[in-house]
Amino acid sequence: MTRPTPVIYDCDPGIDDAIALLGAFVSPELDIRAITPVCGNQPLDRTLRNALQICELGGRDDIPVHAGCHRPLCREPIHGQFHGATGLGNTVLPAPRKQAEATGAVACLADHLGRAARGEGDRITLCCLGPLTNIAMALRMYPEIAGGIERIVMMGGAFREPGNRTLTSEFNMLADPHAAQIVFAAGLPMTVLGLDATHQVMLRPEHVTQFAQSSGRIARTVAELMAFWDRNDAARYGSRGGPLHDPLVTAWMLRPDLFESRPARVFVETESPLCLGQTVADWYGKTGGAQNARIVTRVDAAGVIDLYVGLMSRYRERGAA
Amino acid sequence: MSRTRIIIDTDPGVDDAAAILLALASPEIEVLGITAVAGNVPLTATLANACRIVALSGRTEVPVMAGAEGPLLREQVYGKYAAIGAFPEHLVGSGGVTPAPEHAAAFIARTARAAAEAGTPITLCAIGPLTNIALALRLHPDVARGIARIVCMGGAFTALGHRVPWAEFNVFADPHAAGIVFGSGVPLVLFPLDVTMQALFTADHVAALRDGGSAGGRALAALLTEYDRSDPARYGRPGGPLHDAMTVAWLIAPDLFTGRPARVGVQEGGTTPGHTWADFTDPSAAATVMSQVDEAGYIALVVDRIAARAPAAQKETTA
Repeated sequence: MTRPTPVIYDCDPGIDDAIALLGAFVSPELDIRAITPVCGNQPLDRTLRNALQICELGGRDDIPVHAGCHRPLCREPIHGQFHGATGLGNTVLPAPRKQAEATGAVACLADHLGRAARGEGDRITLCCLGPLTNIAMALRMYPEIAGGIERIVMMGGAFREPGNRTLTSEFNMLADPHAAQIVFAAGLPMTVLGLDATHQVMLRPEHVTQFAQSSGRIARTVAELMAFWDRNDAARYGSRGGPLHDPLVTAWMLRPDLFESRPARVFVETESPLCLGQTVADWYGKTGGAQNARIVTRVDAAGVIDLYVGLMSRYRERGAA
Repeated sequence: MSRTRIIIDTDPGVDDAAAILLALASPEIEVLGITAVAGNVPLTATLANACRIVALSGRTEVPVMAGAEGPLLREQVYGKYAAIGAFPEHLVGSGGVTPAPEHAAAFIARTARAAAEAGTPITLCAIGPLTNIALALRLHPDVARGIARIVCMGGAFTALGHRVPWAEFNVFADPHAAGIVFGSGVPLVLFPLDVTMQALFTADHVAALRDGGSAGGRALAALLTEYDRSDPARYGRPGGPLHDAMTVAWLIAPDLFTGRPARVGVQEGGTTPGHTWADFTDPSAAATVMSQVDEAGYIALVVDRIAARAPAAQKETTA
């Protein structure tokens, strides 16, 4: 097997974050160096606690978890609407025994990426599932770490698809549009899984049944999380179920062949009250600037579901954590 | 006497140099660190200048740290006197002070969190663009609790048109950072151009700085002579302002100043980025906006403290 890809998961769990992480935990292709929760779907104390609980659920309490930023850069915090009061739907997980590391997420990113930039460590792929506050803070404080980032693979934005939280804007971008603009403007290799991609992959009730039967010792929790995710809005999404936003990041890391993307230059609106957080793509070089992202335009939805059924079935083979 | 513990966040800058020298010469103040930010000149120059000023003062135990090399979001702008760059060695010497490795924002955050824990919050003297302080406030929620007040040179309400017609430079250079600081809930003492332009240092004051016997006074006099800030067309009489030093002077001698409580805010984008507003009628005001200075008293304080040869005993108490 080729060497596993070093990654850091920057996230705000979050039901779909939980599924993305549980998939990554059982993927030998990924070497998860750290998890950095941020304020997003829930306030930081919840996303941090949820991350610790998900690590324990997945039997990966070996992964260091570093608390990230407690709020967005400039705007007031907003939180997700589809994750229940705790961020994990109705699912109740045992109180975590695992503790967060003493150092925060920004220091963790500066350390890993700084070493990589100096040639003293592996370049790292950032898997970003939430608002980009931690990444933007790290880039602003330590611009030299850009050289240690192999790629940013992120869930966020809406291009030809309208927004989800507002008419124009996807939640992660809306929750910290200034951070998103900082990251897009950094000139790093980026793969963007926006609503254009994630709305192609609906986790339907029959899939949930399938996961409930195949996910071994975590089957009950996975089914519970996934059942809560059902938007029950066929008029909007074309079927029952919920869009599999964040898990697509892990899926892209494992099986990029399931995705088609196109290069573009992406800007984020940071001022307009109506369009705050809108991601605007220049597909045709009209602005004259360099392309700064590959935007995923097509997804093999059945392939992604099959991939996750395969991943979750690995929890059958693993004993209780 | 309990000394006021401060961090000076700065973009030297000639008037920054005066503020730093004043603080380091004053027994009422304990300087915990000096954090450099890009502003008047690029970060490499503000950092070098901060190091050289500390060296001049002889207070080489005070750590100097590098911070943000540019604003949070807007494109970079430099000050009106950006051509100065790094102070030339023949004016200020080269020093021998090297920066500490910690990032300025990390230092501010770490110091403030420790101060919050100990129940002894610190004071920030913010005399450059507010990027470092904004970053520090976003690193951890306890940072704001560890800051008793931010004494800031920034903004303009009636004395506009210094750098652009609608804004003062420090706020204009990073309006998003100013928005974060103004909205942080930390008590703010603001020295806008309206007050800083009331005190003008003339050739006589420069001569007094030069001839007082201190290396810092001689260097500041040399800088003020080389880069003459006098602008009679603007100020109506000869002499130039030393904006930033007012923040430190207020900590030493608050009676020299008159201010009013206000709620302040900043325009972050649009066509007038960096424009500051103040509501002087808001009973929930978290800021004090300074409006008047005792010019003679302020100038005497700055000149006497900086020009005086540092007494040996004072150095020992800071070890």
